[in-house]
Amino acid sequence: MKDRLKRCFIINEDNPVLTRGARTVNIILVLLLLTGLFWFGFSRLNYPFYWDTIWKYRVSFFSGFKLTILISLFSLALSLAIGLVSGLAQSLPFVPFRVLSRVYVEGIRGTPLLVQILIFFYVIANALGVNNRFIVGIVIMSIFSGAYISEIIRSGVESIGESQLETARSLGFTRGQTYRYIIFPQVISRILPPLAGQFASLIKDSSLLSIIAIKEFTMAAREVNANTFSTLESYIPLAVGYLLLTLPVSALTKYLERKYSYAS
Amino acid sequence: MRLEISGLTKRFGDHVVLDRVDLSMRDVKSLVIVGPSGGGKTTLLRILAGLERPEAGRVHINDHELHFREEYLREYRKRVGMVFQAYNLFPHLTALENITLPLVRVHGVPAAKAREEALALLERFDLAEHAYKKPAALSGGQKQRIAISRAVAIKPEFLLLDEPTSALDPEYTAEVLDLIEELHEEEMRLMLVTHEMGFAKMAADRMLFIGDGGILAQGTPEEVFEHRDDVRVRQFFEKVLKY
Ligand SMILES: Nc1ncnc2c1ncn2[C@@H]1O[C@H](COP(=O)(O)OP(=O)(O)OP(=O)(O)O)[C@@H](O)[C@H]1O
Ligand SMILES: [Mg+2]
Repeated sequence: MKDRLKRCFIINEDNPVLTRGARTVNIILVLLLLTGLFWFGFSRLNYPFYWDTIWKYRVSFFSGFKLTILISLFSLALSLAIGLVSGLAQSLPFVPFRVLSRVYVEGIRGTPLLVQILIFFYVIANALGVNNRFIVGIVIMSIFSGAYISEIIRSGVESIGESQLETARSLGFTRGQTYRYIIFPQVISRILPPLAGQFASLIKDSSLLSIIAIKEFTMAAREVNANTFSTLESYIPLAVGYLLLTLPVSALTKYLERKYSYAS
Repeated sequence: MRLEISGLTKRFGDHVVLDRVDLSMRDVKSLVIVGPSGGGKTTLLRILAGLERPEAGRVHINDHELHFREEYLREYRKRVGMVFQAYNLFPHLTALENITLPLVRVHGVPAAKAREEALALLERFDLAEHAYKKPAALSGGQKQRIAISRAVAIKPEFLLLDEPTSALDPEYTAEVLDLIEELHEEEMRLMLVTHEMGFAKMAADRMLFIGDGGILAQGTPEEVFEHRDDVRVRQFFEKVLKY
């Protein structure tokens, strides 16, 4: 009996892999524990749930959810482009480009997204006369996420060993050819997992756009809350909605990591 | 092959690896470079491959002088075959692609023709069955023979090899040396750093002993082996020929 329990719950040298059944048991156990914990918390709170008032606002939630997906997808595409340019700029011969890219990356990564959103919205977008909030939101998130993607790409490029670059040089490849035929094909498989992870962050981080009143998912929940004063009923669907988006991306990350861990 | 070097100096920081080296050799078919570890053999070979720039000095090979500017060197490297100790095959390409990629992209050979030539080379060196394998699936000896095929495929003016068998298990050394010997017999011009003294004696018509920042001995392999005036050369051969 003791042995069976051990084999169900413990991974070590004697029992390196769990059976599928044992894995399920573990997951169910943890979910039960968490449910119990929440249930206990809420019962102590004595909070009356009014789910029916929230149900009336489902359309508002849904359109916010859609907008979050749209902003995330467009931002992903644009931030990939920005990250690629910035990541590659760091190995350009023309030094000011390298410095510019470095300043961009450190500046963005070293300051809170909240501040970036406010400055971009109230100063830059205002000065440029752009007031389409959807576009402003996408541009802000892309600039933000692009800095992280830039670092992912840079470290990917740097992970290609010096000896390969030298071999390419000795064969007469130009820099461009070396990137195109030697570096990129190897880097792409290496950076897919961290890129997928960055996408999950992007989805969550876009919730901050609600402070400039972009009606994405979080903004929708805030509005519902303001109208109904049903705080938990407004925000619990929000958590569930973000999980619905990030869990598949996280599964994709895991899959890509496994797929490419042998390949290199 | 003609090789003229004068005043060649290479430093890494304060460390002078080659100190005003002079050399003049004509009608070289295969040159073997030997010497103690850290003596500067690789550095010299890399300069001759156009991969490293000296601080001073001139190098003439055959009828051209090396200009140490990237623009010139890139063209120059296209005519030189270089083989590294660690094979340096591209890990994401198959054996065949490793050979065809430089042919197609650097030398502008049409893809079909490059493929045909590469397959013929692999066939000749008994590597045909490995054409579609990636380097990770090949033995060290196979990898090095493919790396040599890649260097030969571009029909280089001469072939530079830096300790091509040093990273190999002993059982694979012979197949690589056989291949080099075969190239030698086909009149491919070779410059080779190696610790395989038996092979050096057999395949080299000239030998250089590099150490302490310069050339300590040169001549035919016999002359260099017997060059016992210099204590550094003598001690080196006593050590490597001991077993
Ligand atoms: N890129 C470099 N930066 C700094 N020092 C270097 C560099 N390349 C070589 N050296 C130094 O130059 C010296 C000569 O190196 P080199 O590789 O030419 O020797 P070698 O004769 O090929 O030795 P081995 O038999 O061990 O391969 C060594 O002391 C080495 O540490
Ligand atoms: Mg060396």
